[in-house]
Amino acid sequence: MYSIEVNNLTKKFGKFISVNNISFKVKEGEIFGFLGANGAGKSTTIRMLCGILAPTSGDAIVGGYSVLKHPDEVKLNIGYMSQRFSLYNDLTVEENINFFAGVYGLKGKLLDDRKKWVLKIANLNNKENLLTGSLPGGIKQRLALGTAVIHKPKIVFLDEPTSGVDPISRRGFWELINDLSESGTTVFVTTHYLEEAEFCNNIILIDAGKLIAEGNPKDLKTNYLLNDIIEVECDNAVKAMELLEKENFVEETSIFGNNLHLIVNNFYKDKTQIKLLLSDKNNIRVNRVDKIVPTLEDVFIHLLDNKTND
Amino acid sequence: MIRRTIAIGKKEFKHLLRDKRLLFVMIFLPIFLLVIFGYAVNFDVKNIQLSVLDKDQSNLSRSFINSISSSNYFYISSYLKNDSEIKYVLDKKEAQVVVVIPSNFSERIEKKKETAQVQFLIDGVDGNAATIIKSYVDIASIKFNQKLQKEIFAKLGVKFEPLISLEPIFWFNPDLQTTKFLIPGLIAMILIIASVISVSLSLVKEKEHGTIEQLNVSSVNSVELLVGKSAPYIVVAFFDALLILFVGYVLFDVVVKGSMILLLIMTLVYILSSVSLGIFISVISTSQQIAFTLATFATLLPSVILSGFVFPIESMPPIVQIITNITPAKFFIVILRSIIIKGVGIEAFWDQLLYLIAFGTLFLIVAVVVYKNDSATA
Amino acid sequence: METILNIIKKEFLQFRRDPKMFGIILVSPIIQLIFLGYAANFDVNIVHTTVYDMDRSEESRNLLNTFESSGYFSFDNYVNNYEDLQEDLETGETIVGIVIPNDYGDKINKRQPVKIQAIFDGSDGNTTSVAAGYVNAIIIEYSQKIFLEVQRKTGKKILSVNPLEAETRVWYNPELKTRNFMVPGIVGLLLMMITLILTSLAVVKEKEIGTLEQLIVTPIKSYQLIIGKLVPFAILGFVSVVIVLGAMTIIFNIHVRGSYFFLFVSSFIYILSTLGLGLFVSTISKTQQQAMMLAIFIVMLPMVYLSGFVFPIENMPKIIQIITYIIPLKYFMIIIRGIILKGIGFAELWQDGLILLLMGMIILYLSSLRFSKRLE
Repeated sequence: MYSIEVNNLTKKFGKFISVNNISFKVKEGEIFGFLGANGAGKSTTIRMLCGILAPTSGDAIVGGYSVLKHPDEVKLNIGYMSQRFSLYNDLTVEENINFFAGVYGLKGKLLDDRKKWVLKIANLNNKENLLTGSLPGGIKQRLALGTAVIHKPKIVFLDEPTSGVDPISRRGFWELINDLSESGTTVFVTTHYLEEAEFCNNIILIDAGKLIAEGNPKDLKTNYLLNDIIEVECDNAVKAMELLEKENFVEETSIFGNNLHLIVNNFYKDKTQIKLLLSDKNNIRVNRVDKIVPTLEDVFIHLLDNKTND
Repeated sequence: MIRRTIAIGKKEFKHLLRDKRLLFVMIFLPIFLLVIFGYAVNFDVKNIQLSVLDKDQSNLSRSFINSISSSNYFYISSYLKNDSEIKYVLDKKEAQVVVVIPSNFSERIEKKKETAQVQFLIDGVDGNAATIIKSYVDIASIKFNQKLQKEIFAKLGVKFEPLISLEPIFWFNPDLQTTKFLIPGLIAMILIIASVISVSLSLVKEKEHGTIEQLNVSSVNSVELLVGKSAPYIVVAFFDALLILFVGYVLFDVVVKGSMILLLIMTLVYILSSVSLGIFISVISTSQQIAFTLATFATLLPSVILSGFVFPIESMPPIVQIITNITPAKFFIVILRSIIIKGVGIEAFWDQLLYLIAFGTLFLIVAVVVYKNDSATA
Repeated sequence: METILNIIKKEFLQFRRDPKMFGIILVSPIIQLIFLGYAANFDVNIVHTTVYDMDRSEESRNLLNTFESSGYFSFDNYVNNYEDLQEDLETGETIVGIVIPNDYGDKINKRQPVKIQAIFDGSDGNTTSVAAGYVNAIIIEYSQKIFLEVQRKTGKKILSVNPLEAETRVWYNPELKTRNFMVPGIVGLLLMMITLILTSLAVVKEKEIGTLEQLIVTPIKSYQLIIGKLVPFAILGFVSVVIVLGAMTIIFNIHVRGSYFFLFVSSFIYILSTLGLGLFVSTISKTQQQAMMLAIFIVMLPMVYLSGFVFPIENMPKIIQIITYIIPLKYFMIIIRGIILKGIGFAELWQDGLILLLMGMIILYLSSLRFSKRLE
């Protein structure tokens, strides 16, 4: 069963095409990663899927309802949390929970149960009278997620939920996302952090409004990168990159931290050539040249580079 | 010091230039409003609606009515038939004054040689207009009296001639146009609103967004920050002032009789002191909403009502006269009127200039002190 | 309905968190009313006068005494040349200079006509008109008195009978106090400012913080959001009407002559349009700063100048008069002054009330339409 089915979705603003004819499916209960650079059309897509922006053409079925024909029903079945903290800072924790619960018409015992649940996942038991504005960032984020799913929606959209949160809180936040997914909620998440994308069951990548890759993280790494990836640890990585870029056997170069990543045709044949070029001809000390398993970042840089070369 | 101030000023300028809508509002709306309001503001009491209830219907009563309506100030809006209509026309604002001529009017004057009473009923709701209408009515009656007396004395063989006549001379504004008097006030008001409100908001905005902490931890000191932040608004307000004076000249014949350079310098001083009021508000406010509300209440009505723009300050109770000092517009209006209408130089208003400078300095100092305390405790 | 109540409750909770704002909203109108009420006054009680008496005779002193005893003039300064007189007028110390020529006494005694100069500072045309009226009336009266005296001295018996006596009666505001006219107007203005500021900021603020985005993805309908956000402001506005009217009665002793009920009903109708305008401003602005500048420049200032609050609409050029028809405060001014000062009611004011109601509904409807569109 799919909880989201997107068919040829397109959105134009005047002449500008923000989302260009994309289609994909999201399975029930999975964590679905939606990746792309800023301005690639992520937010526009999410807004269409949430029923707040009408598509120019195409349609999407979200939780069984068409965003085109029944946007109000769509809204009842989804939760949404944006990158901007979207609770009222000048209300207390409990007042915020009550307000959003009221928005979804929660009452009586159900309300009490859900309130307890939200307080629990946000680690705010017995602190419901604190002003929301005074909470630390990580806690705010958990509270925001809790209120976004207070009505137990089938699907929750998270738009860069962890931006600006420290790494430890981020890890905890992803555990929460996992729990949600295990309890059957479909999680549709966009993120900047590619290491977070590894936690997703499935991923799509869009660029300039077009879908350019899709699949689970493992498939993406094998299907889209046929060549070998080499990590070179050496002095003066920038100079080394300039030198290597000119060589025919090197397809792509990029800098990762202090190291250099290269995409080459044949690791075993090219390894010696690299050492020769750098240390013998140019006096750059080379510590290590290894073949590595590509990260998603390698894949995406490769994909986006190819696109711009086209 | 100067360089950092300029750096902040530049940054703020970029914000402002990027916010096209705000820029538009700040530059063009004031001009637009000056045009409309410039035509709207005047107290000239002309074309007073007069209703006539003439119970006498004689030649004498008609000549009395003629003498009133020929004075240019009045026009006859309706003739009434009975007393009950008086209330109606006054209630509905269809007449500003009703004249009631009794049925024995001509009989008393011509036959009995007695005094006849004529009633004028004035709508007093607008006390100002009513006062002026009342004086017109009085003068019209006195003139009619003189005419009649002349005739009576002539019959007695005495040549009646008033010994003393009055030669009124009106300086500075011979036609007693109120527009000329009000336009400087309008200029002062528009400038103070544009500068105080925009400045008071720009700083609070950084407070709300938390970017001010960034600036606080940098080596920028509070004076540099406050001055730098307000610099672009000073430039825009000054530009506004130039446009406004130009429009005033083109559309309303507001010719600057005095020195133009002096006028521009005074305008700059005024803008600077308004800006320090804006900075002060911004420093004591915790949110844009509060800053805005304070700025509105501190500028909008006071610059209209307390500044001497429309209501003469001398007519206010002493305590309120003291309170009028909260708006720099008060001083600027005196200066503007002196330069524009009277064409006099700095010797006529140096005291106002001192007030203005003292006002600006005071608020700036208080603002810096408060701001320093705030950022020290934060 | 429950959704709306939920939003209303939230708004009130937020008010409670922000007591500073709450205080400003409730207290400042009263303070403003007091200051402005005392300040809004055109009454020319005292005409500051400079005297340049070249004659210094008994006759000239008699004339000056007549001026002083009228109670309208205060002789602040006596000068001996035109330069000093000019300086007094230029600095604005006095607004009229009375100049008596040096042959004044002689001419009066010889029964020759003589001219008195009154030099006015014309800058403030309004005050000057009134002052000129006073001077004129005194001179005419005095001149007549002298004429009769002279006639009497020559032995001719003439009855000093004025053929005509004008009796002026001022209705509604017999003391001709501008305050009575201005204070009800200020009530209308303050009411507009409060409701407009609050609404224009309310929506933009949520937009800036990001909570509006959150609300949009919930099943809240836009009309529910609008009503939920506006009702608290309407209530606040209404509370301030009561407070300000109370202050008006107690402090300025201006009593409502007409019906309180009709006054409240029309205040409510009036608030509809100011709330609608606030909503409109917030839909066309992206930041609070923009919203505020727009609120002031396109709503508040036109309301002050074009509503007849201080400047009589009848005096404006035709084209500007046409513009005033779209100013809601214009109608409310007529209504509030009518009820408070004239004591008139529905029978005379229903047309203005109806226009105001229609206007409020149209503004509110159009702004909500724009608002809902904006959400999409």
